[in-house]
Amino acid sequence: MRRKGPDPAQDDRLLERAAQLGALDEALAAVRGSGQGRLVLLTGEAGIGKTSLLRAFCAGHGDVATFRGGCDPLFTPRPLAPFAELAGAAGGRLASRLARGRTPADVLEALAEELPRRGPALLVVEDLHWADEATLDVVRLLGRRLDALPLLVVLSYRDEHVHRSHPLRIVLGDLPAADTLRLALAPLSAAAVTELAGDEAVDADALARRTGGNPFFVTEVLAARGAEMPATVRDAVLGRAARLSPPARRILDAVSIFPPRAELALLEECVPGYPDGVDECLATGMLHPEGAAVAFRHEIARFALDAELPPHDRMTLHRAALRALSRAVPPDPARLAYHAEGAGDREAVLRWAPVAAERAAALGSHREAAQQYARALREADGLTPERRAELHERRSYECYLTDQMPEALDARLEALAEHRRRGARLREGDAHRWVSRLRWFLGENEAAEREAQAALDLLEGEPPGPELAMAYSNMSQLRMLARDSAAGIAWGERSIALSERLGEDEILVHALNNVGASQCQSGDPEGRTTLERSLDLALRAGLEEHAARAYTNLAAWMDETRQYALADAYLGRGIAYCRDHDVESWRIYMTGWLARSHLDQGRWDAAAEAATTVLRYPNPAAPSRIKPLAVVGRLRARRGDPEAWEPLDEARRLAEGMAELQRLAPVAVTRAEARWLAGEHELVAAETDATLAVAIAADDPWSAGELAVWRLRAGVREDPPGIEIAAPWALELAGDGAAAARAWSELGCPYEAALALTGADGEAPLRQSLAELERLGATRTAACVARMLRRRHGVRGLAVGPRAATRANPGGLTVRELDVLELLTAGLRNREIAARLYLSEKTVHHHVSAILRKLAVPTRGQAAAEAARLGIAKR
Amino acid sequence: MNLYVILRRSGWSSPEELGEAAERSTRVGAQMPDDVRWIRSYVLDEGAGTVGTVCIYEAESPEAIRKHAGRADLPVDEIIPVADTVVVRPDPQPATA
Repeated sequence: MRRKGPDPAQDDRLLERAAQLGALDEALAAVRGSGQGRLVLLTGEAGIGKTSLLRAFCAGHGDVATFRGGCDPLFTPRPLAPFAELAGAAGGRLASRLARGRTPADVLEALAEELPRRGPALLVVEDLHWADEATLDVVRLLGRRLDALPLLVVLSYRDEHVHRSHPLRIVLGDLPAADTLRLALAPLSAAAVTELAGDEAVDADALARRTGGNPFFVTEVLAARGAEMPATVRDAVLGRAARLSPPARRILDAVSIFPPRAELALLEECVPGYPDGVDECLATGMLHPEGAAVAFRHEIARFALDAELPPHDRMTLHRAALRALSRAVPPDPARLAYHAEGAGDREAVLRWAPVAAERAAALGSHREAAQQYARALREADGLTPERRAELHERRSYECYLTDQMPEALDARLEALAEHRRRGARLREGDAHRWVSRLRWFLGENEAAEREAQAALDLLEGEPPGPELAMAYSNMSQLRMLARDSAAGIAWGERSIALSERLGEDEILVHALNNVGASQCQSGDPEGRTTLERSLDLALRAGLEEHAARAYTNLAAWMDETRQYALADAYLGRGIAYCRDHDVESWRIYMTGWLARSHLDQGRWDAAAEAATTVLRYPNPAAPSRIKPLAVVGRLRARRGDPEAWEPLDEARRLAEGMAELQRLAPVAVTRAEARWLAGEHELVAAETDATLAVAIAADDPWSAGELAVWRLRAGVREDPPGIEIAAPWALELAGDGAAAARAWSELGCPYEAALALTGADGEAPLRQSLAELERLGATRTAACVARMLRRRHGVRGLAVGPRAATRANPGGLTVRELDVLELLTAGLRNREIAARLYLSEKTVHHHVSAILRKLAVPTRGQAAAEAARLGIAKR
Repeated sequence: MNLYVILRRSGWSSPEELGEAAERSTRVGAQMPDDVRWIRSYVLDEGAGTVGTVCIYEAESPEAIRKHAGRADLPVDEIIPVADTVVVRPDPQPATA
C-alpha cells in the first residue's frame, strides 16, 4: 500500500550532492586514465548523507569492481572489521586469506591481487572515525602504495569525531596530499528540506531550522509524523519506534545490540516469536536488509534504541546472543567478549576477552588488544594471582606499544605487586626493570634509577638468567643516557658477557647498543663500530625495535657532532625501516632528530614540517617531544613569529624532569637564543648556568661550546670552560668570528655561519650576515643584526624584512622563486625541484610561471640565460 | 585553532596578480582544512598599483600559516595572534571599483 508522504524506506533521493558526485566521477575517471590510485576523504556530521552519497556513486558505476566495508561502532572495534566485511562479500582468496588473520600488509597484498589488472577499481571504507588500529595501518599502507594501484579509495568519517589527537588524524596527515581530494558534505538548504517534505503538512522552514538541514534527521521527523516536531533526532527515532507493534519492537530492540548488523539466523535464536515483526520493521524503513542480515538505517537510530533498552532486557538479549554465537564455527572472540560483558557473564568475559586480545595483537591492533585485556582484568578478581599478573603484563606491553605510557606503568605496577605477594623473585625483579624503563619514558629519571637498582638487588640474589642480563643492560642504558660513559660501558659489558653465555641475542643487541653509544660519548671512534654491529645483528635477527634504536643512536651521535651527511643517511634509512616495519614510536623519535638536522642545515620549512608531525601525536613519550618543541620554538623566535615561549616552556619542563644533558642542552641553548633575540641579554646567564655546569662535568665539547658562545654574545664576561671545545664554537670564543663562520659553512650550517659573522670585525661581515639571515627568513635575527650595523657602523636606511630581499633583487623574484630558479638553472625538472624543496609539483609550476613572467621570457632555458645576464643568483 | 592577523604588505603588483594569489590560497587551503581556515581579508591600496593584504586566519600554529603561504606562494611579513574580537558593525558592502 502506498502511504501518504515521503517513504524513507524507498526514499533514495539525493539532493544538493551533484557537485560531490561529479568530483567522485572525475576522480574515478582520473584513475581510469592514469592507472594510478587516488584518494577521496568524504567528511560530514552523522546523518549528513555520506553513506547515501556513496551508495548512489557505487550504483552509478556498477561495471567497476567495488569493495565496500565499514568500521565497527563498538567501543572496542573488531580488528580489520571493514576488510572482513568486504572480503565476505567478495568471497574467494581474499576471504580465506583474511580468515587466517595475518598482518595489515598481508591484507593490502591480498586486496591488490584481487584488483583487475588494468583497473579501475573502487574501495570504500566507511566510518573511519571508529577504525581499529590494524585498519588504520592498512589505510596508511594504502596511501604509500597508491601510485602503483589502479584504485579509487574513498574514506568516509565524521570530522567532528576526529579531534586533534584522534589516531585517524595522524594517519590522514601521512596520506599523500597531492593525490588526496577532500569532499565535505554540507547540511541541506531550506529549499531542499522543503522538497523532501513534499506535500507533507509540515512547516518546512521550522523543520530546516530544527534539523539543521541534516538529511537523516529530516527524514526521521517526516517519518515520525507526530503532532509535535521532535526536539532531537533521538526523539524522532524513539517516536517512530514507539508506534511499532510489540513483535516489531522486540525485533528492533534485539537488532540494537548487534552493531553494525544482525544476522537473521541470530535473531531467530534470540527473539521469541521470530520472524514476527521483521517485515514491519523493513516496511516502515526502520531497518533495511543487508544480505542475510538486517541493520538500522543509521547508527544514530541503533544507538538511540540501545540506550533506551531496560537493563534487564539488554542483559537477556546479550545472554541469548552469547549462547547463539558460542556455537559459531569458528567463534569470533571479539564479538563474544562484547556480548559476554553485556550479559554480565564473568566467566565468558575471562574466556573470550584474552583470546580477542591475542588475536588483535597478532593483527597489529595493539590499542584494541590493550582494551580487551582491560575488559578481562575488570573481571579478574577470582583468577589465580599468577594469571592476573600475566594479564596485567600483557596489557602493560600493549599499552607500551601504543604509547600509552601511564597506563602501561599502572598495569606493570599491578603485575609487580602480584609477583611480590607470591614471592616470585625473578618475575618481580624483571617487573622492576620494566617499571624503570617506563618511568624513564615518562620523564621520571630519578625513579627510573631507583627501580633499576631494585631490579638488580633482587636478581643478583637469584641464579643468573636473562632477567639479570636485561637488568644489567637497563642500568647500562640509564648510565649512558646520563652521560656517565664509563659506567655505561662497564654495566653493558657485564650484560654482554652474560647474554653471550646464555645465547640471548636480543639482550646482547640491546647491550651493544648501550655500550656503543657510551663509547661515542667518550670520544672513542670504536663507538660507531659497536653500534653498527648491534644494528647488523638486530637486522639479521629481525629485532625491529632494537634495529630502530641502533639507527637512532647512530643518527643522534652524527647529528650531535654535526656530521650531517652521515646523520641524514642514518635517519633516512632508519625512518624508512620503521615505516616498513611499523615501529611507530621510533619513527616519531627519529623524525624529531630529522627536524633538528633540517633546522641546522637551513631547511626551515622541512624542519617545521617534521617537528609538527611529531608534535601532532597525542601522547608521545617525553623524550620524543623535547627536540621538536625546541625546533618549533627556535623557528618562531628567529622568524619573529608569535608563541615562541609556549613550546620552549613545555620543553624545559620535560627536560628538567629527565635531567639528561642531551635533553637539557638543546632546550637551554634555544631559550638563550630566544632571550638574546628578544633583547633580554641579561637573562641568558640564568637560562644557561645549570646546564653549562652539567655539560662541563660531562666533558661535552659541543654543548659546552654552544652554551658558552651564547653567554659571550649576551655579554657575559667569564673564563672559557676548562674543557676541550668543538672547533667552530672554540673559534668564536677565541674572538675569530670569521674563521668560525667558515667552519660552520663547511659543516653546512648557514644560520650558525651567519651568526658567527657577527663576531667578526668590520662592516662587510655584518652585511653578509644580514643578507644570509634574510635569505633564511630569520626576520627577527636579521633585525638584531641590522641594529648592530647601525650601532657599530652607523649604517642607516637598511631595508629589513622579508620583502627586503625581494626588493633588492633585480628581477623582483621572491626568495622562493630564487630557490626554484637556481634548481631550474641546474636543469632540474618540476618534479625534481618539488622533491628537493618539499613543495608540491603544482606549486613549483606556479613558481616557474611567475619566474618566466617576471623575467619576461618564454622558456625555462631563456630564464636561466636571463638570470645569468642580470646576475641573479642566490648569494 | 587560534585566530591570527597576517600582514602581507605590497605583496602584489596588480589586483589581477592578487586575484590569482587568492585563487591559489583557496585551493591550497581546501587541502589543509585541519591546519588553516581563511576567514577574511582586507586588500590594501599601497600606491603605484601595488596591493597588499591584512588577512584574518584561524590556524593551528604560525608554522601552519607559513606552510600554507609557502604552498600558495603568498608573502608573510608578520603574524600576530588575535587576543580578542570586538565587532561593532558588520563589514560594509565591498566597494565596487
